[in-house]
Amino acid sequence: MRFPVVLATVVGAVFAQALLARYAVGGRPVFDLVLVGVVFVALRWDARAGLLGGTVGGVLQDVLSGGVAGVGGLAKTLVGGAAGGIGARFVITRPGARALLVAGASVAHRLVMVALTALIDQQWPALSPTDMLVETVVNTASAWLLFRAADGWPAIVERRRTRRQARWVRRNW
Amino acid sequence: MPFVSTRHQTVRLLIVLSVGHILLISAQVQTRSGLPLIEQAAFQTFAWIHRTAGAMAGALGGAWGGWVALHDVERENAELRVKMAELEGRLMGLEAIARSAQELERALQLKARTVPPTLAARVIAGNPTPGILTVLIDKGRADGVARDMAVIGVDGIVGRVLGEPAEREARVQLLVGSSAAAAAVLERSGAGGLATGQGATGGDLWMRLEYVPNLVDVQPGERVFTSGRDGIYPPGFPIGTVEDVRPGADFRDIRVRPAVDISGLNVVLVVIERPASSGGGLR
Repeated sequence: MRFPVVLATVVGAVFAQALLARYAVGGRPVFDLVLVGVVFVALRWDARAGLLGGTVGGVLQDVLSGGVAGVGGLAKTLVGGAAGGIGARFVITRPGARALLVAGASVAHRLVMVALTALIDQQWPALSPTDMLVETVVNTASAWLLFRAADGWPAIVERRRTRRQARWVRRNW
Repeated sequence: MPFVSTRHQTVRLLIVLSVGHILLISAQVQTRSGLPLIEQAAFQTFAWIHRTAGAMAGALGGAWGGWVALHDVERENAELRVKMAELEGRLMGLEAIARSAQELERALQLKARTVPPTLAARVIAGNPTPGILTVLIDKGRADGVARDMAVIGVDGIVGRVLGEPAEREARVQLLVGSSAAAAAVLERSGAGGLATGQGATGGDLWMRLEYVPNLVDVQPGERVFTSGRDGIYPPGFPIGTVEDVRPGADFRDIRVRPAVDISGLNVVLVVIERPASSGGGLR
């Protein structure tokens, strides 16, 4: 695990979330790209990356939201750790399978958030199944795209390198 | 056994981070009634993320609108010219009504009400946590924005400034949010109540008008305005329209559709003067 890369990925996800949240004022559509980023680092590296990524991403998101700092952090830490644990135990390499894990993580994260908010406020917050479904679908689609891009990137780099080498050989020959 | 060691390290890390989070949450919940120092300091420190994201969004939108999507500009200009002419006509009509109202006020020796001074601000960010209805505006302490100042839009009340603003940014709690409320008055009967935000439950943003007795006649379509009795929102600004009315045990169960469409919120006005809390009635 390379902590700076994990940090950069999660901060990038927070930045993307802040950028796109401008267009989703009013909670429609609901999405959480920070969670996608946390699950991404957890599956890309290991459970520790998921834990640290969840902590950094969650706390940053809490701070920017103006809520109680630590609620989202704890939820994302737990989900990130669990995703990393599952990723280490089972071989999840296909983007579809990873995206499915993000769908499960989205539901788990929402439920943990609701439980923590209920503990703090001493009352159950309203939980909209529609919003939860929209969030899960949007997160899963974003994750699918992210994993596809991350898997395809080395091949693109390799192709460009080979092409450059071939051009160099041709020129020298 | 490296696997066991790594697993133990992971478990240790999980415990340390979880305990850290719980301590962080506990510290804030205990001092919430007092001064939430952690939240305040963190907001001031990290507001730059919102500012940069807002600037990027603005630049992207500007590039799109200014370079790519120019084909509609001519038609839009023509439409805007027509709309402007209509609005100028309406403004003249309203000015005439205002003049006659002022004359009536003078005749009745009422204290004249003035339009509160406002400061235009741009919405630069939404809330990165789904479900929390706040937005960030590009005006802060340096511009004269202070805690609890009312924020209005073209169609009515938007919300209030939440907490102490940063130097150049302030967070606005939207009135439709689940923990927001405003003192309200009904258009026809003049009966008072409390308009409370209900959040985005079921993908629909709505408010409830509470503490309106069953004796009061309320009809769907009736407008709800601020009464000014809360000392935050200036009186006479639209909150929303009554959508559904049902009799309750003591008070009516009134569902209100917000006047402001927050999904298209770009520019807002911060009321930089507090209303007198004794105010009331429609403006």
